[in-house]
Amino acid sequence: MQKQCSHCHLEFEEDVLIKDEELLFCCKGCQGIYHLLKDSDLDSFYDKVGNKALSAPKNQFEDSSNFDSNAFYDKFVKKDKDGFSEVALVIEGIHCSACVWLNEKALYKMEGVVDVHINYTNNKAFITWADDIVKLSQIIDMIRSIGYDAFPYDKALQESGVNSLRKEYYLKMAVATFSSMNIMWIAVAQYAGYFSGIEQNIKNILNVAEWVLATPVLFYSGSIFFRGAYFGIKNKVVNMDILVATGASLTYIYSIYITFMEHGEAYFDSVSMIITFVLLGKFLEVLSKKNAADTLDILSKHIPIEVNVVDGDDIFSKKVEDVEEGEVISIKVGERVAIDGVVVEGEGSFDESSLTGESTPIYKSLGKSLISGTTSVDAILKYKTTKDFSNSTISNLITLLEKSMKNRPKIEILANRLSEHFSSAILIFSFLTFLVWFFWPHNFETSFMVAISVIVIACPCALALATPVATLVGLSLGAKRGILFKEASNLESMAKATTLLLDKTGTITNGNMEVIDSPSLSSGYKEILFSMVSNSTHPVSNGIKNYLLNDNLNLQVLNIDNIKEVKARGIELELDGVKYIGGSSVYMNENGIKTSVDTHFTSFYFAKNDELLAEFKLQDTPKKDAKLYIDKIKKLGIKTVMLSGDNSSVVEYIADEVGIDEAYSNLTPQDKEEYVKKLQKNGEIVVMVGDGVNDILALGLSDISIAMGSGSDIAIDVSDTILLNDSLQALYESFKISKTTFKLIKQNLALSLLYNAITIPLAMAGFIIPLIAAISMSVSSLLVVANSMRIRYTWNKKG
Amino acid sequence: MDGWVIAMMLGASLFLGAIALFAFMWGIKNGQFDDESKMMSAMMYDDEKELNARADADKKKEELKKRNYKPE
Repeated sequence: MQKQCSHCHLEFEEDVLIKDEELLFCCKGCQGIYHLLKDSDLDSFYDKVGNKALSAPKNQFEDSSNFDSNAFYDKFVKKDKDGFSEVALVIEGIHCSACVWLNEKALYKMEGVVDVHINYTNNKAFITWADDIVKLSQIIDMIRSIGYDAFPYDKALQESGVNSLRKEYYLKMAVATFSSMNIMWIAVAQYAGYFSGIEQNIKNILNVAEWVLATPVLFYSGSIFFRGAYFGIKNKVVNMDILVATGASLTYIYSIYITFMEHGEAYFDSVSMIITFVLLGKFLEVLSKKNAADTLDILSKHIPIEVNVVDGDDIFSKKVEDVEEGEVISIKVGERVAIDGVVVEGEGSFDESSLTGESTPIYKSLGKSLISGTTSVDAILKYKTTKDFSNSTISNLITLLEKSMKNRPKIEILANRLSEHFSSAILIFSFLTFLVWFFWPHNFETSFMVAISVIVIACPCALALATPVATLVGLSLGAKRGILFKEASNLESMAKATTLLLDKTGTITNGNMEVIDSPSLSSGYKEILFSMVSNSTHPVSNGIKNYLLNDNLNLQVLNIDNIKEVKARGIELELDGVKYIGGSSVYMNENGIKTSVDTHFTSFYFAKNDELLAEFKLQDTPKKDAKLYIDKIKKLGIKTVMLSGDNSSVVEYIADEVGIDEAYSNLTPQDKEEYVKKLQKNGEIVVMVGDGVNDILALGLSDISIAMGSGSDIAIDVSDTILLNDSLQALYESFKISKTTFKLIKQNLALSLLYNAITIPLAMAGFIIPLIAAISMSVSSLLVVANSMRIRYTWNKKG
Repeated sequence: MDGWVIAMMLGASLFLGAIALFAFMWGIKNGQFDDESKMMSAMMYDDEKELNARADADKKKEELKKRNYKPE
């Protein structure tokens, strides 16, 4: 029966749970946290969190002492005016507000911690503490001991960029909305007066009040349009900003003229309405922008700041940048490797999951190479660097990544291309209208008024709203289906995609080993083999275990004392004086057993003494429904290509199985990047799906990059889109959503252009005064919004 | 109705509105609205116990500050 773990609330079979009096736990980690919270009087956390599932605590291999190093303090820790230390951290593993509460409370309880602020929205913490009472490493240990993790970020970097831009827009929107709302009710009085008569002195007062309100809207909220217009003129491009800036300023100047002349109608309400509406469109775009600073923060946590260099009997710390090739570095348990090298003394296992996604620690001994970015699980060793820091794997990857992200081609957004022609045409029309009216002949005032009404009516409010409103609909449709588009403009680029590149492991396949060919084995041997593989967490052992369980659910683990796992080789056990071994062909050969080697599959051999009993062939198999959704994607007119680092027979087998158009094998990360470059040179728009570090260069360069939610951290950070449930169905849906959104954008643009095609000739003929222009402008904006909502409604009805 | 009455009413109400606007802008600039979910989330844990904890935390800060204070 399925039961819940008392800490994380995830469900497991009752017999695998750890029993602790009345309570059940899924692992030692959960048990430890539960008792810690109980002991420190924080167990009301469980009332607050309710029945929400938390993620089970991860194994922490990394040591926290590097948080106390001088280099770390130089970079991240600041002193405040009272002499306390301050640091900004990102806390990982927060699910809900109860988690925030728990972290704050647990840290406050520590002696020497002065202040803790955790942001509920982005999980960033700001901690102040007295450094002579408590060390930062102890604070980090506390966060880790209650099941979360923390890493530092540069606050200055965070304050700049998108966040400050967002704040600027908030302020501008606040002023614009406040003033527009007030102008509207003053305008109501004026409209009433227009029809029922109004004294000139009252009218003057109302005009002056509107003038006062419209001024900050035009010059403060509208400053971005003047800035945009300035850059447009400088680069000789007529953009939408020029149109907005001229339309609004001309109306503003004309209205001041009317106010002083004390006759005619002033149109300050049009000025503020134009600016507010177009600003709203821009504001929506800024809201959905990706925060580049977040990516940089997370990348930097993969690199240590300093290492321990061994010189004879001395060990001293040195900044990573100062270490030269050939120096010997010592690694302790929990330390992260910063520079590539070869082991010269000692041995142990390394966690390479952040680079390869492989969850089993890899065993390294004398002469084996160490890769930077991996963490020592139980290894205490010395190694000689074979490269300096800047040429090591991790820093190399990050520099290459920055380069490829910079070189990424920009796909021009439809609305931008359209608005350039549109704006020039309107300015010319308006000028011509003025000339025709002036020489008709009319007086200057009337001609000028008609010319302005052309600009005001064309003022692209609906045009400015067309794209952002449609993309917001697309983003929310995706979010409901576990598809996160990090930036709104991705939707449009993705809709134009011509080629889809897929990584093999983890993208098309499950990444789990499955037995595809097996011999017959007596049930007695099966029981022994089951006990053997149950003792190991290696993917191959898991594959065999699942296979045996599928065959017979009642298999029991035998009580064997003498069992031992030989790293990267296999497992050995003794039962009733007979020795059984299981593992790779290398392991068999070492034990004097001959095997045939087949490179197409991963083989697992099982032997008794010197006699080979069975050979299992295992392979990574495609995900459920992979073929179905690859076919559907192909039907959308997209070419599918598989890029893999694996050998050709495996790659071809999988490509055949799911019906991929083309497949390439034995590729390095650089090869994949080259392939993307080649496609882009041929004018293809490339979507790349991957999950590992070996894909990040290609991900960084491709027009749209998609990562699987379970992929490595770096791949997720680099990508534009994340598929949370890892399925190919979500991939297909993301194509569908982007195509729908793009269709919606085109419809919206068509609507607003149609509206202009009707109203501009009317304005040129002098039928529309700015007052009516302002009202009809709102109507066209509402049309665009309503059309977008319609699509959202039909999609949601489909489920 | 005299014009000055309208002028005064307009002026007074716009002035009061502007004060509210400036207060709001000051709040945005100060970072009081940076945490969108705080208002709703933090409210759930806002009881007497939390208030006491906050007061204790302030006291703790003052004590630590005093400890740091070294007369010249």
